[in-house]
Amino acid sequence: MSAEPNSMTPNYYTAKGFCFTSAFWMILATFAGLLGATELMAPDLTENIGWLVFGRIRPIHINLVLFGFVTPGLLAAACYILPKLLKTELFSEKLGVVTVVLWNITLVAIVVTLAAGYTQGREYAEMIWPVDMGVVAVFCLLIVNFVMTVKRRTEPILYVSVWYVLAAVILTACTFSLGNIIWRPDTGSLKGIPDAIILWFYGHNVFGLLLTPLSAAVTYYVLPRACKTPLYSHTLSLLGFWSLIVVYTHIGTHHLLQVPVPTWLKVIAIVDSVAMVIPVMAFLINIWYTVQGKLGEIHADVGAKFVFTGTIMYFFVSIQGSMMSLPQVQRVTHFNNWVVGHAHIGVLGFAGMIALGGLYYILPKITGKPLFSRLLADFQYWMILIGVVGFTVVLTIVGLIQGNAWLNGEAVYRILPSIHIYYVARASIGLIVFTSALIGVYNVIRTLTYQPKESAT
Amino acid sequence: MYFPYFIAYITIGFVISFVVLIWALKNGQFKDQQRARFLPLEELPSERPAAVSRIKRIEIYALGFLAAAGLLTSAAVLVFSLLRG
Repeated sequence: MSAEPNSMTPNYYTAKGFCFTSAFWMILATFAGLLGATELMAPDLTENIGWLVFGRIRPIHINLVLFGFVTPGLLAAACYILPKLLKTELFSEKLGVVTVVLWNITLVAIVVTLAAGYTQGREYAEMIWPVDMGVVAVFCLLIVNFVMTVKRRTEPILYVSVWYVLAAVILTACTFSLGNIIWRPDTGSLKGIPDAIILWFYGHNVFGLLLTPLSAAVTYYVLPRACKTPLYSHTLSLLGFWSLIVVYTHIGTHHLLQVPVPTWLKVIAIVDSVAMVIPVMAFLINIWYTVQGKLGEIHADVGAKFVFTGTIMYFFVSIQGSMMSLPQVQRVTHFNNWVVGHAHIGVLGFAGMIALGGLYYILPKITGKPLFSRLLADFQYWMILIGVVGFTVVLTIVGLIQGNAWLNGEAVYRILPSIHIYYVARASIGLIVFTSALIGVYNVIRTLTYQPKESAT
Repeated sequence: MYFPYFIAYITIGFVISFVVLIWALKNGQFKDQQRARFLPLEELPSERPAAVSRIKRIEIYALGFLAAAGLLTSAAVLVFSLLRG
């Protein structure tokens, strides 16, 4: 497919498409989470309704949050940021629109197949082969569009955000293909321990090599621009980038410390998990020094506010992650709701916040008009912040109850009555986040469609 | 044999990273880092800078409380795990 000729004003169809995709699927993703949390609270709620049982709702929730809400939100910002930093236009808006359409078809397929019970039964890699191929295809299309955009650039230096975006799409295409064993369409898996090893390389890296680099890319662009100040150190940002690429690819086995996996592999996973402090702090120190003394500017821009809060969450989730890879800590925190709390800080608090921040930052720029409602965006910010903190507190408490009880030899079912109240709180918080998604999609659709009074004819 | 897939996975990542790193070195991507710091600021509209110190005090207190609570929780679990784990 060839690129269309340059026009004076870019139309940003791809970015707009990803914005709408993210906002729309956030509703279904958070509703699936709310339904799953409600089923944990009241297990008989969907009794005899096969396609709504917890075992099907949970993978729908996870895959929609990952591929429906957060990734498209970050990609929307990437489709705006990349051409700006490279002083060119996106290689092909037509190809971008085809990617958005195929992305949405794949998301529909994910929901339908998982709800119908078609699953490969591997955590985070539940989708069956045809759906896997849809995901691989959209990432291949993104690689073509982004690499060709880089090739046609007029700015010789690649800013760190460009590095992160390219790494995210290229490495995720590899990670997804390998992790889902796409060369074995019938099962999508290996056998025994090798399958567990490769699954958890995929399971960890699909977040760490997709959401983390895209979030870093958006942060490195939005915060300096919102604060109207140069990046503290581009060299430090590249150090963070390359150390992330080197370290992050090895740590998946920290999910398998209680499993008969070779010890050397566990040691690599633990050492590199702790070493993640290097890229994380390189990123955070750089960003926080950049915005030092500029909190007023961040507060003035709702997109930057989301993004900055995401960096704080990144600090927590990364410190937690390094800590949780230690075997002694895992004896308490593994296989219980602590990990679920950790995942919510990472995906909703860090990457989700930054996805929404990127989305709100670019919306006025790609539409050429102000955000429909700053108030609604602020309201959504506080609802999500309260939701993330609420999930963290509640799930951490539940995790500690479960972990400590099991460490002391208590049976699983005997713990359930003592954690029920926390499951009620969890579902209530889920309702807050779901409501925020409704507010968000309304704001996004109105921003895309309304005509400001001064420009209305 | 448990390790071929792991080795393949790591090798692919390293090969791609190494090739790109060599390309970056040859293309001078690590030179002129001072100019690179300013790249996001180009084409910045000449609008009046946002007013400083507009932060509502309650937001600062709320964020500070959340940050402190998170750090204390993490520290408590680490201590608890190391003592009991």
